[in-house]
Amino acid sequence: MRVSYEWLKELVDIPGDPQTLVDEFTRTGTEVEGIERTGSEFDNIVTGQVVSKEPHPNSDHMWLCKVQTDEPEPLQIVCGAQNFEQGDKIVVAKIGAVLPGDFRIKKSKLRGVDSFGMNCSERELGLSDSHEGIIVLPSDAPVGVPFAEYRGMSDTVLDCEMTPNRPDCLSMTGVATEVSAIFDVPTHIELPRVAEEHAVGEEGDEGVESLVDVRIDDPELCCRYTARVVRNVKIGPSPDWLARRVMAAGARPINNVVDVTNYVMFLTGQPLHAFDLGKLTEQDGKRHIVVRRAHEGEHLTTLDEQDRALTTDMLVISDGDDRAVALAGVMGGLNSDIDETTVDVLLESACFDSGNISRTSRSLGLMSEASIRFERQVDPERANEVSDVAAALFEQCCGAEVVRGMVDEYPRPLELEPIVLRPQRVRAICGANIDDDFMVARLERLGCGVERCAEAEQGEMRVLPPTNRPDLTREIDLVEEILRLWGEGDVEPTLPASRNHAGGLTVAQRRERLIGQTLRACGLSETTTYCFADPRDISRLGMEREVAGVPVKIIRPLVSEQSEMRRDLIPGLLRAVAYNKDHGVANVHLYEMGRVLIGRPNKSLPNEPTFVAGVLSGAWDEDAWNHRYGKLDFFDGKGIVEELLDALRIQKARFRVPESEHASWLQPGLAAEVVVRGSVLGWVGNIHPKTLKLFGISDPVVAFELSVDALQRLACDQLPYVDVPTLPGVDVDLAIVVDEDVTYEQLVQRITSAGGKLLRNVRLFDVYRDDVRVGPNKKSMAFSLTYRADDHTLTSKEVDKAHTRLVTKVLKSTGGEVRS
Amino acid sequence: MAMKEELEAIQEQVVMNLQAAKTMDSLEQLRVKVLGKKGSLTSIMRMMGKIPPEERPAMGKLANTVRANVDNAIKQRREDLTKQALHARMQAEAADVTLPGRRFTHGTQHLINQIREEIEDIFCGLGYIVADGPYVETTYYNFTALNAPENHPSRSAKDSFYIEDNAPEGKPPLMLGDSDVLLRTQTSGMQVHYMEENKPPIYMICPGTVFRPDTPDANHLPQFTQVEGLVVDEGITFGDLKGTLDYFCREIFGKDRATRYRPHFFPFTEPSCEVDVSCGVCHGKGCRFCKNVGWLEILGCGMVDPNVFQYVGIDPEKYTGFAFGIGVERVAALRYDLPDLRMLMEGDMRFLRQF
Repeated sequence: MRVSYEWLKELVDIPGDPQTLVDEFTRTGTEVEGIERTGSEFDNIVTGQVVSKEPHPNSDHMWLCKVQTDEPEPLQIVCGAQNFEQGDKIVVAKIGAVLPGDFRIKKSKLRGVDSFGMNCSERELGLSDSHEGIIVLPSDAPVGVPFAEYRGMSDTVLDCEMTPNRPDCLSMTGVATEVSAIFDVPTHIELPRVAEEHAVGEEGDEGVESLVDVRIDDPELCCRYTARVVRNVKIGPSPDWLARRVMAAGARPINNVVDVTNYVMFLTGQPLHAFDLGKLTEQDGKRHIVVRRAHEGEHLTTLDEQDRALTTDMLVISDGDDRAVALAGVMGGLNSDIDETTVDVLLESACFDSGNISRTSRSLGLMSEASIRFERQVDPERANEVSDVAAALFEQCCGAEVVRGMVDEYPRPLELEPIVLRPQRVRAICGANIDDDFMVARLERLGCGVERCAEAEQGEMRVLPPTNRPDLTREIDLVEEILRLWGEGDVEPTLPASRNHAGGLTVAQRRERLIGQTLRACGLSETTTYCFADPRDISRLGMEREVAGVPVKIIRPLVSEQSEMRRDLIPGLLRAVAYNKDHGVANVHLYEMGRVLIGRPNKSLPNEPTFVAGVLSGAWDEDAWNHRYGKLDFFDGKGIVEELLDALRIQKARFRVPESEHASWLQPGLAAEVVVRGSVLGWVGNIHPKTLKLFGISDPVVAFELSVDALQRLACDQLPYVDVPTLPGVDVDLAIVVDEDVTYEQLVQRITSAGGKLLRNVRLFDVYRDDVRVGPNKKSMAFSLTYRADDHTLTSKEVDKAHTRLVTKVLKSTGGEVRS
Repeated sequence: MAMKEELEAIQEQVVMNLQAAKTMDSLEQLRVKVLGKKGSLTSIMRMMGKIPPEERPAMGKLANTVRANVDNAIKQRREDLTKQALHARMQAEAADVTLPGRRFTHGTQHLINQIREEIEDIFCGLGYIVADGPYVETTYYNFTALNAPENHPSRSAKDSFYIEDNAPEGKPPLMLGDSDVLLRTQTSGMQVHYMEENKPPIYMICPGTVFRPDTPDANHLPQFTQVEGLVVDEGITFGDLKGTLDYFCREIFGKDRATRYRPHFFPFTEPSCEVDVSCGVCHGKGCRFCKNVGWLEILGCGMVDPNVFQYVGIDPEKYTGFAFGIGVERVAALRYDLPDLRMLMEGDMRFLRQF
């Protein structure tokens, strides 16, 4: 809403300057988004009076004048114009003024005489092409007044953001009322009245009812409809003041009829619509206005020349039953618009349902000054009064004859209930000592009727809100009014004096943080990616439908690549890898912890399990002068998963080769499922080169993905304490040559079970393959075994015995042999 | 040569040769040559029996003195050599300490989550719990129970991501593009969930991702992070809201920052306001960073609207409360003067590792 300061000043006494108003608006909840000053092109140009006029000593056609302006002393000005006399009121551009064409007025010397300004012509001020001498103002013009102010062009327009609960503030009278409450000052709103109503009809004794009738088919969507008729309008440009007001409010002046309807809307907040009466279908000598829902398949060409396909929940105005002539409350129809040929006007001032107008406006993507006001609710009580104001202005500005009377259909009159206000309650909610008198005074300024109940305890009041404040229906609504006017900033800050509650993170939340901390300690950096997904993602991973679940689909996505919700974290992370590689970052180590959304057939709401996933590509870092970083591989990924399981104290995890259909996105042979106590937690592996290619990545990527919900379930807060060994252990190395298909896991299992209670640690320190020395399809695995007893130092005999038994058993069960 | 001369000669020779012994090995050789089983001094000591008895005491004394002197001299030399060797080793090991250290490759936390955790910690310190809610909400929780009117513009498909309702009774997608199910546009729905499941006193925050159909640009993301806060207790005042948020602002932005409360409108709070924090660059004077206002808008808040209490069956006469919503990306952008919010979603290692 654009608020003209000059206009507002006519409606209410505003203390201070525009900046004071801006500050007070901000303090009380009207956001000022911009301040625009008009007339600033006339800065340093003022009205003046010629005090003396003498011939220039060195010129035969120039004059040496002294001109009184707003300066303490008259200015000496050299002037070449001939059309003025001593005593004339003129317009002076003082030093510092900038005239059109970037012509700067400076102190100058003309034929040896100093000149401190310029007497201006209309052309010099850019007002017209007239250059027949300087402007001579009427003799009653004031002296020393800024020219912009004198011409009424000086204004400050505040661009205010009105909150959606304040339809009243979408009008100048509403803003004036608000200002009156902010500063506790009176308003003086005077509305024009119709001077003379004209009777019509053959007998010359009939009113508007003989020309128009109105039928409201759906009173739920239109609680009031008034129609007036004005005749013999003279379409033409609006008078200056009207055009200026309309422009200040942000509209383009069109013609006097349209401008009047716009002006009255800006003034009162009531949108009006002017129909060309002559274009409305006449039936039985009358125009029949019908307010009805659009017919199935009905179309209307609106004033903006767009063809609109209407639906049956939209409200239209039609002339008779068939032809729509306006989209109610949104925009008029092209078929009944005002143009240069218009003679008679039917003026609509009505009240439509806010929700319905809002829906219509949204469905059609059509917003207008009218729809903005209707969707926030227009005051039905004033529809008739506003119609009178417009009629009066048609009379004044368009030379119209106002037809007697008004058709006023008002099937659902507004009913207002008084609100009980407890001043104690106000103080209790605000935590501020606001006195009763303040409440009464400011509510009255807002237009409320306030009745203090003498008999009631603690000074209860009954407050009747004004009809243009649909936001005031409950006590709390009044509390808000009182507090914002009193000043939220002045309430003393306190902390709640709370009892009986404790805060903090839950065990699960602390564990979630631990997961992140561990991954970061392992070298991964956290990222976040979009929860939106490309529908092709799942097929890019080669995931099967059952594995992936049902997608959650967005009805109106921003882009088709984000038209559903992710069912897996990996595609987002692969996109991040590709982004880095494309931007020259070769070493990528990222993790993300986040939700995936898995839709459920026949259910509205999806499952939202949380996963944690990581991607590794390149090396940990660029080689340094004292350290070489190898390429990251499968075992870097697996190591991180193992660290994470350790941090959560999840024991007995197994890594097993997944069935290929459950890991289509992983490279066979470099993929493992993470299994704990029979349940699959997730996986770790190299992303399949085919998948990488689909995401535009050419370097290998190691990744893992684990269910956070499963990690939470299996995590353990503490493990039992184990004694720190006090006695020395004995380390024995053992290298066993086995067939390639014997896994590390199998071998360790055999060693552990064969080692008995003295074997305390098994550590693989080398894997060696050599066709000659080890043999084809074989590998040598070298272990360091630690033997120890808790109660005595082992003798070499004891160790030998245990080790010999271990070797025998292991060789027998694995078919391997000791490598010497 | 008399024994006496021989002894003196040995001592002299040892002293002389000591200086030539530059290593532990040559020193040891020298020691063996003199004091070893076949050493020169040892041989003389063995001959002690062969000298006349009257000379024995004097000679024995001399021999012992020589032996002690030689012994000490060798020990002394050994110490010197040890010192020298240590010195030499340290000299050899000396490095250019300005060379870069061997670094650990640890990761960093995403900026938004750092700030989210910081906010969680601040409110946990005030005795709040941290709640969590679903991304996909029904319109009831996202709008209706938050007192948003049926035709409120925020419900439009332009401002919300509606999703296809899989329920058989679900609304089929209409021309308006809406349904009864959507990606939550605010974390405020958790107020309703939490109040349905918990009785006052309630002190909770709910951080989480929210979604709005804004095309990504420097200042907008279709997916961003909010922290919702809710307090419901007996006797909660607007002053309590201010005290709490003043504390929060100073903790998160610094002790020297001032706050400003501007009345505003939200459907689910009344009275409502927006909170500004004084600009950290110009401290309220007005500069380019704060667009010459001197203040930066950081959150919205207000007293819980009695209608919301009624939806969840809490008596608004007995209990009052306040709620607030903090935009985490906004806090991040203000703290770091981020030029483009999209960087938060790209996963660029060079961006992530700065924080």
